[in-house]
Amino acid sequence: MALFEAKSSALVTLQDLRPSSPFFKQGKSLRIIGTLQEYSLETGLATVIDGSDILRVSIEQLKDLKFQVGSVYQFIGELLIQSDNKAILQARVGRNVDGIDLNLYHQSLLLLRQFQANHLNNSAT
Amino acid sequence: MQQNNNNPIPISLHNTHVKLLAFDFLTLTPPSSPDYPFTRKSIPITRAETLGTIVLRDHKPAKFLRFAIDDGTGCIPCILWLNHMTSPHLARRRSPQDLCLLADAAARSAEMVKVGVVARVRGKVTGFKGGVQITVTDVFVERDPNAEILHWIECVNLAKNCYNLVNVPSSSSGSVTLK
Repeated sequence: MALFEAKSSALVTLQDLRPSSPFFKQGKSLRIIGTLQEYSLETGLATVIDGSDILRVSIEQLKDLKFQVGSVYQFIGELLIQSDNKAILQARVGRNVDGIDLNLYHQSLLLLRQFQANHLNNSAT
Repeated sequence: MQQNNNNPIPISLHNTHVKLLAFDFLTLTPPSSPDYPFTRKSIPITRAETLGTIVLRDHKPAKFLRFAIDDGTGCIPCILWLNHMTSPHLARRRSPQDLCLLADAAARSAEMVKVGVVARVRGKVTGFKGGVQITVTDVFVERDPNAEILHWIECVNLAKNCYNLVNVPSSSSGSVTLK
């Protein structure tokens, strides 16, 4: 059953991935969304952006996914923090989410975090 | 669906596919006996619906398909039984025609379950090795990129305005409202 002790990926925005963030940890499972700025199948690396924030994503494991610069992608994977304190998300799952309402996504994320925090606080008391 | 706390909803959630976020689902209270359902704030929860990205898949042909759905708040283990034609337990309880239909439906569902797709899954809330899981009855692949967002909003809305307000039947005073 060890197979199904799946790591839950935290929903984050690229803005959340600054070195001071609690999400900026080695091996942390994350789910991110961003617009594909560039990619290389040779190096297995892609770059996604959200506003002025940028993240490099390792896409080596995503053999079946088609990439298109300018499209919006969602990636789930683990964060690898390098010696220069730069991060790469090692994606294990990815999909094209062209058509997503990013404004609604960001608003819903805040609502979800607030609900989760309230729920856990109420459970603890 | 809007209710105030002085007007509890006089219904139970029995046999309702309750839409729960994974973190909420995974903290359901296990029953004292396998014959009783899991509960949420003392409310029995027998069926659930989740929507998220399939992140794990373990297929044992003609036996079962186990998979996990990640909705961003947690990972829900799911099991889809594929043993309809070989299970003596089911053979005693269902006609051969029913079993063929169920086996076909399960096989079709299994084909949809692929790592990376976003799926809506419904089923029974069951326990396994001390944890909670969904024993799957329906799988539907979502292609709308906004489906997950809508699911989050629906789960929050239902929890706040419905599930948290459902009254618990009481033998002495009729009902108690949970807040």
